[in-house]
Amino acid sequence: MADSVEEIQKAKKLYLVILGALLVGTLLTVAVATIPALDVGGHGFDSSDAILGLIIASVKASLVMYFFMHLNHEKPLIYFFYGLGIVMAFFCMWLIGWSKSDPIQYGNSSKADGFYNPAKPATNVHGHD
Amino acid sequence: MEIPFIVNARKDTGLFNSKVGIWLFLASEVTLFGGLFSGYLFLRLYADYPWPERALPVLPGLINTFILIGSSVTVVFAWAALKMREWAKFQIYMGITIFCALLFLGLKGIEYNAKFNHQALRLTGEGSVQDFGYLEGHVHYARLDGDKLVEVTKEEKKENPEGVFSANKIIFKASELSFTLKRPAHEAYVKEILKQAGDKHTITLVEDYRVIDADELSEGSKNRTQLEASDKATVVKAGEALSIDDLDDMEEAFLDARARDKDIRTEFLRASWAWIRDEKGITEISNLVITTDLWKERMEEDAAKIKDLMLNAGSTVSYKVDPPLTLVLKPTDIPKLAEESVKLRDDTVVTGQLLPSPMFMGIDAIDFRHTALRAEEEGIEPMAAIAQSWILTHTDSHGGNDLKKAWDCHMAWLEVRKKQLKEKDEDFVPTETDKYRVNWDQIVAYEKLGYDVDAVAAATEDGTLRKSGLFDISGFAGANHKVHHFPHVEIPRDKVGFTSTFTPRWNTYYAIYFTITGLHGLHVIGGILVLGYYMFFGRKMYDSNPEWLANRVEVGGLFWHFVDLVWIFLFPILYLM
Repeated sequence: MADSVEEIQKAKKLYLVILGALLVGTLLTVAVATIPALDVGGHGFDSSDAILGLIIASVKASLVMYFFMHLNHEKPLIYFFYGLGIVMAFFCMWLIGWSKSDPIQYGNSSKADGFYNPAKPATNVHGHD
Repeated sequence: MEIPFIVNARKDTGLFNSKVGIWLFLASEVTLFGGLFSGYLFLRLYADYPWPERALPVLPGLINTFILIGSSVTVVFAWAALKMREWAKFQIYMGITIFCALLFLGLKGIEYNAKFNHQALRLTGEGSVQDFGYLEGHVHYARLDGDKLVEVTKEEKKENPEGVFSANKIIFKASELSFTLKRPAHEAYVKEILKQAGDKHTITLVEDYRVIDADELSEGSKNRTQLEASDKATVVKAGEALSIDDLDDMEEAFLDARARDKDIRTEFLRASWAWIRDEKGITEISNLVITTDLWKERMEEDAAKIKDLMLNAGSTVSYKVDPPLTLVLKPTDIPKLAEESVKLRDDTVVTGQLLPSPMFMGIDAIDFRHTALRAEEEGIEPMAAIAQSWILTHTDSHGGNDLKKAWDCHMAWLEVRKKQLKEKDEDFVPTETDKYRVNWDQIVAYEKLGYDVDAVAAATEDGTLRKSGLFDISGFAGANHKVHHFPHVEIPRDKVGFTSTFTPRWNTYYAIYFTITGLHGLHVIGGILVLGYYMFFGRKMYDSNPEWLANRVEVGGLFWHFVDLVWIFLFPILYLM
């Protein structure tokens, strides 16, 4: 961590660069979501847009964690605590995804694209026809 | 006592203690918000209704993202200022951070307020699809004119606000009210009914409310008829005006009598159990015993004996309303509508006649996605089901239908859009939202062209159809009814399947939106309190031990960065996806 005056002055410049990167990242998120020419995947919102949006958000979040929260030079204990939290959060999400593959409750949903699509309404939702 | 390791690091962890604490807390916060994001994922993946994609106004969310990112930098600058022992700079940076936080909450307040005042409505109708068309907009004002609901404009309301209410009410002409004494919770409704009755209507008890005196009954000197006729039995006399005090008295008398009757029944039951066990030698008491003829005979005997011992107080009391009163009720007051008799939420039965209770609304969005979804499930062509919706088949008081005009324009727009997408890429097709939803900015664009189908098609073709853009300030928090002109409708009550403002009641999207953003907002408030404390009350610590304060600000700052971190994910997920 920056402790000397010189190091702190240097770090402040870096914080401003990160601020710029975060603002650009935010504008990019909005641009890919709202400007038709930048729409990825098929027309309109689909899983490609969701993945791209989440990638940009993850990069932004990493910048905040790495530089503003000083995770670029932290002690191992901090990585352990925070890592544990993140693992638990992803575990929660994995549980939700996992439940989708339950053949009894949701039938054979392996082909489902994971997003609402009335053109392909969920069939056999109760596991029997 | 000196607190250890507030400035210097512990040897084993290599950290000062509060830093270990905040990171443990942040780890738990990651799990908490991770759970809520999982909740969002679950609700979205398994939604059985069209998910409100990109339903929130982007601009306030975008500005709030900038604000939080900016404040993340100023809070780290505040910490750097302390490290360099620059108190004045620390206060400036911290002040900016807190100002940003307040600005964030202010914008959130505007956004929430827009949702609380925006009405959504799902229509109901005949056939297997049952309409399921959605309308969104603002509820207008109304007033009672005799037994009729009439719409009141904003100007008329300003001139004479008396008797004006939001035009989402049920009008019921009440001639009789029956209160149940089993649920002593009538105060709010009684007050409201008496207020609406004023001095032009009398509400009086139809029959004496009588409860036999328990002591006299036990004495056995008089028969039941004599006891029922005695003055002692009268709790409230017929003809008394409705009052909360009288209802309280009757409720108390009823509950006492019921408790006494219950005790007698229990006593008899216990005696019967003892009899069957001791006299008849059935030692193992089970549910099977009550199916035996022996038990049934005993119960009949008991019933005959108990009959004369019970007080049997009446559980409802009726009041006559003279002349009949036109009650104005909220739709949520009445769980189920009926023509001649409705039950309020406190179980009070209002007898009379349901009067036409239309909703008057300015409509800023039409959504047939749910109709289409249900039609496909039923094997019906979506557009055929949509064509039967009340939205497109009704005629307004002027013999027209602006919603139909807007929809026709939308179909013209869709045709051109399909062609344009195909030219771009053979596989591109309009989305469900493109096809079945007419958003407020589209209605505005169509209205500007006078709902002229050909003009809309031509404007779409040459790219001059002006829909509201991202930076249109008039649509900052959604459709602005002060600036734009939207179709006006009178929706018959029997067509209203479900209606609500855009709150958790409307659907699970708004439930999770308010839950996550509300919790995040509480974190912002928590941050303001903590960082504000350092700014306003940190000077003493700064003078005595500046490094301690710097460490505290670092810890507070870490929390603030986390608040920013959560928002970085919330913004795209809730506003853009």
